[in-house]
Amino acid sequence: MSPPLPTSGLDPVPAATPPADDVVIQTVDLWKVYQMGSEQVAALRGVSIQIHRNEYVAIMGPSGSGKSTLMNLIGCLDSPTKGQYWLNHQLVSELDDDELARIRNHEIGFVFQTFNLLARATALHNVELPLIYAGAPAAQRAERALEALRKVDLVDRRLHRPNELSGGQRQRVAIARALINNPSILLADEPTGNLDSTTSNEIMALMDRLWDLGNTIVVVTHEPDIAEYAHRVIYIRDGQVARDEPTKRGRERAARTAPA
Amino acid sequence: MHLQESIYVALDTLWSHKLRSFLTLLGIIISIWTLVAVVSLVQGVNQYVGDKIARLGSNVVSVTQFSLQEMTDQKLFRQAQKRNTRITLAEYQYLHDHLQLASEVAASSRRTLGTNLKAGNHSMTDVTVAGVTSNSIKLASFDVLAGRFLTPTDESHSNPVAFIGADLATQLYPGVDPIGQTLNVDGHNFLVVGQASVQGNVFGQSQDSFVEIPLGIYRSLYGTSDSLNVQVQAPSAALMPAVTDEVRVLLRSIRHLRYQDPDTFGIIGADSLMSLWHQLTGVIAGVMVGVSFVFLVVGGIVIMNIMLAAVTERTREVGIRKALGARRADILSQFLVESAVLSSVGGALGIALAYGFTLLAGALTPLPFSLPWLAVLLAFAISTSVGLFFGIYPAQKAAKLDPIAALRAEA
Repeated sequence: MSPPLPTSGLDPVPAATPPADDVVIQTVDLWKVYQMGSEQVAALRGVSIQIHRNEYVAIMGPSGSGKSTLMNLIGCLDSPTKGQYWLNHQLVSELDDDELARIRNHEIGFVFQTFNLLARATALHNVELPLIYAGAPAAQRAERALEALRKVDLVDRRLHRPNELSGGQRQRVAIARALINNPSILLADEPTGNLDSTTSNEIMALMDRLWDLGNTIVVVTHEPDIAEYAHRVIYIRDGQVARDEPTKRGRERAARTAPA
Repeated sequence: MHLQESIYVALDTLWSHKLRSFLTLLGIIISIWTLVAVVSLVQGVNQYVGDKIARLGSNVVSVTQFSLQEMTDQKLFRQAQKRNTRITLAEYQYLHDHLQLASEVAASSRRTLGTNLKAGNHSMTDVTVAGVTSNSIKLASFDVLAGRFLTPTDESHSNPVAFIGADLATQLYPGVDPIGQTLNVDGHNFLVVGQASVQGNVFGQSQDSFVEIPLGIYRSLYGTSDSLNVQVQAPSAALMPAVTDEVRVLLRSIRHLRYQDPDTFGIIGADSLMSLWHQLTGVIAGVMVGVSFVFLVVGGIVIMNIMLAAVTERTREVGIRKALGARRADILSQFLVESAVLSSVGGALGIALAYGFTLLAGALTPLPFSLPWLAVLLAFAISTSVGLFFGIYPAQKAAKLDPIAALRAEA
């Protein structure tokens, strides 16, 4: 029925060479097994994917498919039970807690469904937060945070707190925060899940613009029309990659850039 | 690195929960308050008493029937009662004539309770009546304001003359120059020849309610059974121990005490008075400091409790910070700084209250209160350390949170 669970981490991991230059994310036979009481539950069963620089990828799948687990692993919030994960040429599947924190700080820009802004801090301070943990000097922090807010058109709201901002504005603050350390990937988890359709379109248009500027974007969603903004969709089902194909936009773009 | 951020967050949190923070800090506030107030109280009283004792006469020791220790310890006193004999006039004369190192040797005898003074229509009771030798003016803490002090002639002729304190001048002779007036002391008339300068109060007790008369007349009025108080003055502070030794050797020799016998008299100097005083205040201060430390521990536990609540309340925040790159140490230090800031604010409030208390006490009493800087710094350091110590466990709990679970927590 389903492939067998790995008995332990001692199983030989397929030899993987460091990925090619323009590969930002490469997973090799990624497993995540949870211990639920006496039972072992595999949320991921050998996921191998590759995402190149300046790609725009959507990860889709029904709830319970393992897409959240995959997102947590890609976001370095969790470590795999087995397999390798290369992020920007670093083998992060072997790192400890504090090293993962450093990777999250430098390489990943998170955008969450519930925005996850600090309620008592101003927009500017929220955007500055990753810089604080990066150890940037205070003067530089404010300058760079303002620059990031300019990219999302919120400079005039810099001193507002989250509860004084609309949902769309909050998500734009979160996006500015995600961009502040020039991460390797922008990892968005249901970025429009708490927004109305007009605001959703605005946010996705902003994502498009950021992609244009050269960012690598991974959007985790269960909404097909949001996934359509991406150029490629990876479908996860039962902890495995079910399909991996270009979207309509992706095909159009390929056709445009293909040699005549 | 993130200290500023942590302190900012800590103060912001504290300010946004003003009442809760205040209640949390009550234990710390009270303990630091008592700690600083007690230290300042003891220091103020010590300074006051030290000042008053110093005014009893510089470089002076008193030779008395009992030592200070014997007077303040019941067991020692009972033993001394069987052994010590009163200081006699002959012994005073002997000390006066034979002490080589002393610059002055004077004698006095006094009583306060039950005395009755009259002058015209005015009268006073319980005034200190002292029989003194004429040279005691050299050891006195007052000056002659008007008239003269008793003279050797008054002494040798047993002239019925009196030298009065400032209180007597104002109460017995209102609006009149007391010099040349008659003063009736317990039924005997004296001629007032001089008046002392004002000395003020010690613990609300007037130091100006006295009359001094020649020692000979005093002894014929009140009898010769009282022990004399012999005051010996050394030429300098450096010679005080030598003078004390000489007094002891002379008295022991005329009392024929053997080598192993204890003293049958007491020698009281400013230093022995001061050490007795420190002993008394030390006990009080010790008890109060102990009590305030109990408060401090209770205050610390309350802080730990509120920090545990804060960690639970802000699990989501911890998750966000971890997702953005905060390491365990960052979260740990954030919550440690927060509890330290919380308790230091409590310490600062306690110090402020203690300051207000010393101002109030300084205004209401004659005690010279001050806020000792060392105590303030120490109290602040103690309160901060309490916050740090009791913040360790909650901070560790926060630092160990799993970022995924923390992000999923209800905000």
